[in-house]
This record gives sequence, C-alpha cells and structure tokens, in this order.
Amino acid sequence: MANTFDLNRRTFLRGTGAALALPFMESLSHAKAAAELPRRMAFVYFPFGVALPKDGAPGSEWNWFPKAGKTAKDFQFRSVLKSLEPLRDEVTVMSGLSHPRCRGLGGHDTGDTWLTGHHLAAPTYSNTVSVDQLAAQHLGVSTRFPSLVLSSDGGVGEPTRSTTISFSRTGRPVPALASPKQIFAKLFGQTTDDQLARQRLNNTQSLLDLVLANSKSVRGKLGTRDQAKLDEYLDSVRDIEKRVEQSQRWLEIPKPRVEEKTLDLSATPKGPEEYIRVMYDLMYLAFQTDTTRLATYMIGQVAGATTIANSFPTAAGQQANWHGLAHGAGKKPEALGKFDQFLVAQLARFLTRLKDTREGDGTLLDRTMVLYGSSNSRTHNNNNYPLLLAGGRGLGLQHGQFQQYDAKTPFANVFVTMFDRMRLPIDRFADSTGGLDALVG
Amino acid sequence: MNRWVSILVLSALASWARADEVFAKDIRPILQKYCYGCHGAEKQKGKLRLDTLNLNFDRGQSAERWHDALDQLNQGDMPPEDEPQLTAVEQAALTGWLTQRLKAAAEARRNTGGQGVMRRLTRYEYANTLRDLLGVKLDFAKDLPPEPASPDGFKNNGLALGMSAEQLEYYLAINRTALGKVIVEGDAPKVVKARVEKSSPIRRVKGVTGNTVVPGAQYLAKFDEFPREGTFRLRVHASAKVPKGAGLPRMRITIGVRADVQAPQETLVVADVKPGAQVLEFTGRIEDFPLPGHNPKYPGLLARITNEYDDGSGFIKRKPKKPKKGEKAPPPDPDLAKQPVIEITAVEFEGPLFEAWPPANHVALIGKPGEGNEESRAMTSLKRFMSRAYRRPVTPKETGAMFDLYRVIRKRSDSFEAAMRETLALVLATPDFLYLVEPAAAQRRALNDHELAARLSYFLWSTMPDATLTQLAEAGKLRAPKTLATQVDRMLADPRSGQFVEHFTDQWLNLSGISRVAVNPQFHPKFNDALKVDMRRETQLFFAEILRTDASALQFLVADFAMLNRDLAKHYDLPQSDWPAGVAFERVTLKGNGRRGGLLTQGGILLANSDGEQSHPIRRAVWLLDRVLGTPPAPPPPDVPELDGNSPELRNLSIRQQMEVHREKAACANCHRDIDPWGIAFEEYDAVGRWRENWRANPKAKPQPVDALAELADGTELTGIAGLKQHLLEHETDRFAAALTRKLLAYALGRSLEFSDDAAVSALTQRFEKGDYQLRALITGIVQSEDFLTK
Repeated sequence: MANTFDLNRRTFLRGTGAALALPFMESLSHAKAAAELPRRMAFVYFPFGVALPKDGAPGSEWNWFPKAGKTAKDFQFRSVLKSLEPLRDEVTVMSGLSHPRCRGLGGHDTGDTWLTGHHLAAPTYSNTVSVDQLAAQHLGVSTRFPSLVLSSDGGVGEPTRSTTISFSRTGRPVPALASPKQIFAKLFGQTTDDQLARQRLNNTQSLLDLVLANSKSVRGKLGTRDQAKLDEYLDSVRDIEKRVEQSQRWLEIPKPRVEEKTLDLSATPKGPEEYIRVMYDLMYLAFQTDTTRLATYMIGQVAGATTIANSFPTAAGQQANWHGLAHGAGKKPEALGKFDQFLVAQLARFLTRLKDTREGDGTLLDRTMVLYGSSNSRTHNNNNYPLLLAGGRGLGLQHGQFQQYDAKTPFANVFVTMFDRMRLPIDRFADSTGGLDALVG
Repeated sequence: MNRWVSILVLSALASWARADEVFAKDIRPILQKYCYGCHGAEKQKGKLRLDTLNLNFDRGQSAERWHDALDQLNQGDMPPEDEPQLTAVEQAALTGWLTQRLKAAAEARRNTGGQGVMRRLTRYEYANTLRDLLGVKLDFAKDLPPEPASPDGFKNNGLALGMSAEQLEYYLAINRTALGKVIVEGDAPKVVKARVEKSSPIRRVKGVTGNTVVPGAQYLAKFDEFPREGTFRLRVHASAKVPKGAGLPRMRITIGVRADVQAPQETLVVADVKPGAQVLEFTGRIEDFPLPGHNPKYPGLLARITNEYDDGSGFIKRKPKKPKKGEKAPPPDPDLAKQPVIEITAVEFEGPLFEAWPPANHVALIGKPGEGNEESRAMTSLKRFMSRAYRRPVTPKETGAMFDLYRVIRKRSDSFEAAMRETLALVLATPDFLYLVEPAAAQRRALNDHELAARLSYFLWSTMPDATLTQLAEAGKLRAPKTLATQVDRMLADPRSGQFVEHFTDQWLNLSGISRVAVNPQFHPKFNDALKVDMRRETQLFFAEILRTDASALQFLVADFAMLNRDLAKHYDLPQSDWPAGVAFERVTLKGNGRRGGLLTQGGILLANSDGEQSHPIRRAVWLLDRVLGTPPAPPPPDVPELDGNSPELRNLSIRQQMEVHREKAACANCHRDIDPWGIAFEEYDAVGRWRENWRANPKAKPQPVDALAELADGTELTGIAGLKQHLLEHETDRFAAALTRKLLAYALGRSLEFSDDAAVSALTQRFEKGDYQLRALITGIVQSEDFLTK
C-alpha cells in the first residue's frame, strides 16, 4: 500500500510538474517585458434594479440611464452616473439588454443568472457555469488564484437567492468571501513556513488519493440519492486536487507584499461606504499584483428583507431599506437614485484607481474590463438591465458611448465580446448570437 | 414492488384521478371561455396552445408552461385588457387549481419514499463534534461558510447541505488548526501569571477610566506578557454598590488590543456583579481574541471591564466634564447616586492552563512517549480515533489504509507528533466523519445500533455519541424501546441538550431573523441592539423550561410565566417589583393583564417579523401560520407589487385599513383574506415588541389608536392578542400539535417530511395530545418511531 502512495500517478505528475515549473516561472518573469500583459475582467452586481422615470416626469433627472443624444457618443449623464463624467471616455452605458431565457423568472430570482444566462427551473433550480468561472478555467494557471469571488453576504445562500454570482463548471455556487480580513489573508497573507505548506499539500494529495480509491467500494453500497451526495464530495475532492497541483507551483513564488495599513480591513457591512470601498480596494490590489485576473462582487442579493445589503441604504442615510427604495422608485425616484448615485461614486473611485496606476505603456484600467449592473430594470422586471462596461481600451474596447439595444439582443453577447477581448477561445455563451460590434468599433 | 413504493403510487393515482374530474368540471370551461380563443386549435398566440397542453405537471415542459400561465394570470397580464376578463370567482378557481397542482407536482418530485439522504454535519454539529472529539473549546465554525435553510426552515436537512471544494478546504484547514492545539511538542510552555490592581493608565483612551466603574466607565488591565495559544483564566476581584431600587451592575469583559473605541476586542463574558466582595472567574481560549501583532505600536494585551447598566435615564451617555486648569471640579451628577457601581480591586491573568504536560487530551489521542514504538503508537491511536470519529467500529482494512497514509506522511514530517497531527486531521476530512453515512440502497432497512446512536446524539445533543451510547450500541441493546426512553431522559438531563434546545428553537421559530432586522433608531430611539441577544435567549430558555418541567406544550400558545432578565422585563413594561436583578435570566410569574406569556408575545418573535420600523402584520401572520400552525400560505406570485405605504392614498390609513385596500385588489385578495387577519391580531405590539395603544405612521406623525380587531376568513372575530390566544387554545390546538410534531420529526430525521410520513405524524400527534402535550413524551415517541429507526 505504501508503494502505491509513493509511485502513484500523481507522484509522476509532481515530477513533471517540477519539470514544468521552470519554464513556467521563466515565462512569468519574462511576460511583463514581452508584449503580453495580463487581461482582466471584473463583474459587479447590484440587486433590485434602478429608478427609470420617463423624460419630463417629476424626478426624471434620477433616471439611471443617460439622456440620449443624436448619436451614441452624444449623450449626457444624469444625476446617478454623474460621478463618471471624468471617466466618460472609459465607459459605455448599455440599455435594452437582458437574458431572454430569464425574463420569465420571478423578479427576485435572477441574481443567480446575471453571469450565467441560464433559465432556472424547478425543482433543483440548477445553474450553469458563470462567465468568470469559465474564463478562470482557461486562465487558471497564470495567476496564484484563478478567480476572486466576493459578496457582501458571503457564502452561497440558496438557489435563486444565491449570495454569489459565480457558479462552477457544474453549476454549483462558488462560495463568496465577505470578510475583508479573510480576503486579505487569502490574497496576501505571508506564510512563513513554505516547507510546511508543501508538506501539507503533499499530504492532502495522498489523502485525496485514498478517499478516491475508497469511494469505489463505498459507492456501491449506496442508493442513488446518497451516491449523488457522495459524488458532490468526490467532485470537491477532485477540484481540490487540481488546486493543490496549482498551489504547489505557486509555492515557489512568494506572495506579493501588500501593506495591510493601507486598507480598512475592519470595515463591516454596517458601514456600507467603508465596506464597499475596501472590497473594491481588495479587487484593485489583487489585479495590481496580478494575484488574479478575474473578480466578481455581488454588492447585494435579491432576497429582500433578510440580507445584509438590504440595509445598506438605511446605513447610508436613506429612509428605507434597499427593497423598499426600489419599490418606491416609481413614485419617488429620487430616493433610490441617490443611493445608486452613492454606489456609482464607489465604482468611479475604483475605476479611477485603476486608471491612475501605470502598467506597460498604459494604465491598469486599459487592460481591465469592468462590467457593472443589475438583472432588474425597475424593481422585479427582468429586462432592460442597467449596465455599464468600463475599461479595457487597451484590449480594444471603444468607449464614451450610450448604446441602446432592443430586446432582440441577448445580454450574453456582451460576454462574448469580453471573451474575445480576453483572447479566450469562447465564441458562444448561453443564448448569445454573436459579439457586439459597437463595443469594439 | 415494496410496500412504500406501492402506497405512493396508489395514492398518486387516486389524486390524479380526482384532479382530472375537477379539471373537466370546473377548470376547462373557464379556459374555454377565456383562453382557447387565442391559445387553442385556431390560434396559438405566443406559440402557446392550452387545449392540448399536457396536464401532467410532474415533468417536462408542460409544467413550466402552466407555471407561466399562472404568473400571467396573477399579474393580470392575461387575458389582455381588451378581452373579456375573468370574474373574481373564476380567477380564484383557476389560479387556485394551478397553484395546487404545481405544488403537488413539486412535492411528488421531491418525494423519496421517506428515505433520508446521506447528510453532511451542519457547521455547528461539525464544530461541536470537533470540540468533543478533541477536547478543545475553540470557535471552530467561525470560518465556515454560512448554510442555507431548507424550505421548512431547518439547517440540518441533508438535501440542502452541499459540499464544494472551498468547503472541503476549510475543513482541512480547521482540522489542522484543531489538531495543532491538541497534539503538542517540546517542553511545557511558560505560564504567564500577572495581577493588576490599579486600572492601567493608557494614553488616548476615550471615556472615564478607573477602579470605580460607573455605568459608561471602564477599568483597564494591561498585561505586557501573555500567551498566544491555550486556555487562560481571568479572575476579577470586585464588589458592587447597588442603590435602592437599582438593578445589579452589568459587567462586560472584553479582551483585545489597545483601548480606544476602534480597538479590536472580543467579549469574554457579560455577567452580573453582586454586592459584597467576590472573585469572579472566567476562562477562554486566547486564540479567540484579537492579540497585538508581533512588535506592535501598542503592545500588551488589554482586558477591559465596563459597566453597561442602563436605566434609561441617559446617564450612561453623559460624560463627566474634566475641569479645565484653574477651574473647580463640577458638582457630581445627581443621577450618579442612583446608579449601581462596580468596584474593582484586582484582576489576575493566568495562562496557558494545563494540569500536566503533555496535556490529558494529547495523551488520549496519541499516548505518551515510551508507550511502544512510533508505529505501534500510531496504529493504536488510529484504531481508537477512527472509530470515535466515524461513530462506528472500523475494519482492519480501513485502519490499515490510514496507517499506510501515516507512513507516507511520517517520511515527510519532522516528528512523530507532526505526522500524527496531519494524519488525524486528514481522518477528519473523510466522508465517514463529515457525513452521517447510513449506507442503504432503495430498500428501506433498519438502522444498526451505531447509526442509531449517532442519529440520537445529533438529534438531542447536536454532537457525537458519548461513551454510554457507544457502549449500548456495541452491546446491541440501544434499540429496545425502554432503553431508548431511558436514554432520551438521560440525554435531555445532560447539559449538551442545551444545544438541541438552541438549534431547534432557532430553526423552528426562525429566530435568526432577530439579528437580521435593522431597528431604525428614528422610530425606536430607546431600543438597544443588545436586547436582540436577550430576546433570542428568552425564547430558547422558554422552550427549555417547558421541556425541563414537563409542562404542557400548549404553554407555547398561552403561558403564565416568562423567562426574563432585567432588561427584558423593563422592555416589556412589567411592574418593577417583578424585575429580575440583572443580566441572568429568571423564571418570572406573570400577573395581571395577559400582555405577555407564550411565544406570540415574545419580543424576538415580534421583532423578527417586523421591518425594524413598523409592525408587519403580514410577516407575523405568515410566521404564525407557517411556524406555529404548520400551514404556510403559498409564497407570493412574482411581480405582485408590495403595498406602498408611502403612497398618498395609503399614507394616512392604519395598517389594517391599508390591508383592506390590499385585499380589494383581486390579485391579492385570494390569498390575503386567509393571511391578514391573523397578523392584525398582533397590532397591539410595535416593531420591537412593546405593547402599545397608539401607533404613528412615522416618528413625527400624530398618534392614532391601534385597531386590532380581526375577522378571520370564516367570519370569526378576534380582538387583539387576547382574542387570538383564546381562539388558538379553543380551536387550533390540533393544528398546533400536528405542526409541532411535524417540525420536531423533520428536525430529528434531518429531512423534509413527505406524504408517506402522514400516518406516522398523525399517530405521534394523537399520542402527544393524549399525553397532555408533553415534549419529552413526544421526543421519546419520535425516537421510537419506525421513521427514526430505519433508513
């Protein structure tokens, strides 16, 4: 038995892994000198939609979308997006888009689908892979972490009310991290004992082998539903195996040193401004240090009264909770508008930080595409998502425009365009019909 | 075909047959009249044809299309505005039929013939088990992702408990940390002993600091030397001065870094201090508290003692002014004389604590050096540890495979101890530990005694079986009904049953809602968030008291006592003579007006089902129907707007009148007729659970009298909470008894109940009712039931 452990297939893999490690690290150190700088994507989601009063109606300046001009370039930001004015040439606002398959879902049920475009059906409401996780599969080995998954509520929540917008290859929710301290420790925590870490990775691999070998005999004794549960466990084991292999290679490379003092890691969702800011800061640092190239952040989930983010507006000085504001937005667009204005100001700060950071001949923002938006337009309506795409000019995106699409254009076309700019060989996603030419010009 | 399956199939067939009759008689005519014109043989607008759409709701696309149709009807999108509209009766018949069929089909799909699924330990079960298995009291669950509740509200539902790579990585990390705490190496660590008498002078500390701690003030003990690992003990030498009429001072001790307001600190304890000199002793794990970094700007560990007594006079917020240079000291605050004061004479710190080195739990796991060679120690340890961790005897093959793993790990490790830490941490990442494995194929089978012991201990203790249960299982004696009854009594008398009370009460009554509601201070300026913790505790202790005293479970509905501490009694406006002395809970006999007593009037329930500003009759009604009476109303259809309380036409109406407006809308009336009245009966309580005679639409609005007169759908009139309680006692005890039985059974089994459980539920309910509604008897009945004894 001991021999099987010493000479199993992964010992072999480890051998080749070590052999691979050199050129891999070399490629990393040469990468920056060469033309190929990282390409990145971030996705930031907010729930409950926005205020959309008609032109001329009272409070129409609180309509989330810009005032359209004669051409796409000729638009005016209204109150909510006005903090993006200095970034006008870095942003494209898009209206009219949604996931066609998700329009018939309950208004509270579409958060799960924002990055998957999948129709959630009873009884399992199973989902499919999200944009970021699909990209992560392709990019995986190039960074320490394939992706960073954040949300204000943390964990996974429950189907149709997930507290994460990222879903694995098998459509399982990827648990989101919510504590700034935990996120920092994961990204930048300095392990003093690499030797111990390496031993543990090896030990973990040995256990995983044992478990996988044992599972065959156990599995046979189980009924089909128990088998499904065991398979869930075994899938997790296999996922860890891959991570372990990847981590082993990364162990050779020290984590970037980031000064903890520059961050307010004690922020909690009780102070939404500080909290949202530090979440953006962590994404910024993760990108800047090339710790990951993919990030998602679910500012709030759509479950109404029971979530942490629902109280953000009250904590930020509004009179009602988020859900209440959204419901009141028909008659009182200003209240929700002001809160959205606050959220957009946080986004603008993030984009500005990216823009102020040099990378190669351009800026960090030039090679980072940030998609910001919701899966509701007005409360509970699953069409005409408020969306804006920022950054990525260095990857070929065109900005400074307000593109108005009609309901025939699936939102997934935006993802296809982004995949293309990421140079990933993915030309279809969910119900996409192609890329969006206006975005790349 | 086995018995269970055939019963299922027969009952399903019978219900389908009935359903078809209803369709032909009542439903098809409505569809013919309004729908087939556009969605029938001639036209198929939106590519939808209803007359030939499959009536099998069980599978396939047809159920989805019917679901869409229901949504369209509920939203009033169909029939289109310019077409003839359904009457209210037709609308109710059609939507009611669709809702019911969809629900039945969903249940049928979920049905498993009463077989639970291999279920992962919940985060709290995992943490408790780790603690009991290793003998280390650390907050192990802290880092695990939060877990979802099943549709019936339970967190121990096997189907809902998922697994992911992240989760498994957390387990591995926590296991390693935990084993690192138990299996030690090297010499005994240095024990730090320190004593502080005078409150430590620390710069830039806000507030009043000193040995005399008035409400709002603090005492600081700074310890320059402290351990970074292990159990510590804090001894506080204190006394209290309690003026007549005041309660005991409420002492909070926190441990942390530095001492200004932003300083990271965790609470060690909140406790009463009684008059007279006393030594209060508390222990904790130092790792659970924020510690100064290595080489920090502000070195030293700080214990901070505050007095949180708050009599509502606002004293706690008033800071005595420091006299400026040359000025006289201001006269003492006259309110100060009314406040209870903590006088601290000394604080002692000692840690890490251990009786011997290596400690007993280390020896229990891997023995002592010199007890045989490494390999034989490893083998002995694995045999013992694995059978405890797996909650069953292990085979030589299993221990052999793990021993081989140990050998591989040993080669990579610097020491025997390090290798054992790793090996045992890995044992705790196998499915045998993380799941309650009861291998069974489709055929139902009896549990073996070890599986039964595990079910029993996770039901009543939320942790692993103890030695007694394991011995009974080994002897094959556990499953005898008498033994089970004796064990239930023993287990309920054990302190570990507090874990059952806590988790079952929380999940049954959805008490986690309390902490999720943000109380708006503009509406409730006097509400202190600390009360939320007390409220949750109140309801848990109330459950515990009924269980402990074998009182009738009908006391959940109406009771003549409450479990209260001083702050709650004050919040509830009880006569001051009845207030408990301090933070400790006491059983308080309720006299007089009947405004308190029973679950319905407990602050936590009322608060959790409010929006933090106003009472929320609909939430309270849904809670009552779902959690207490076991008949939850259907969830609201999508896209039905909420009542906008701020709209001009509703702004000045009472909640009751607003709800009347709500019910006038056909889309809402159908369901809300059966829901709203139950909630109106709670209107005498505001959002935070205080009794009221008047209410305000907003903090500045004029008070208006509360209107708590409710008319149930059948015409019964209830006046306020008294009327509601009386009605429940007179007419709803059957529903309540069945509901509580179902909830307990679902929790005991770790799965949702299905129609195949109906017979068991009704037998248990009958026994429960005949036995004067005693919880203990109900629990015993559940444990002895076939459902519990088989998989």
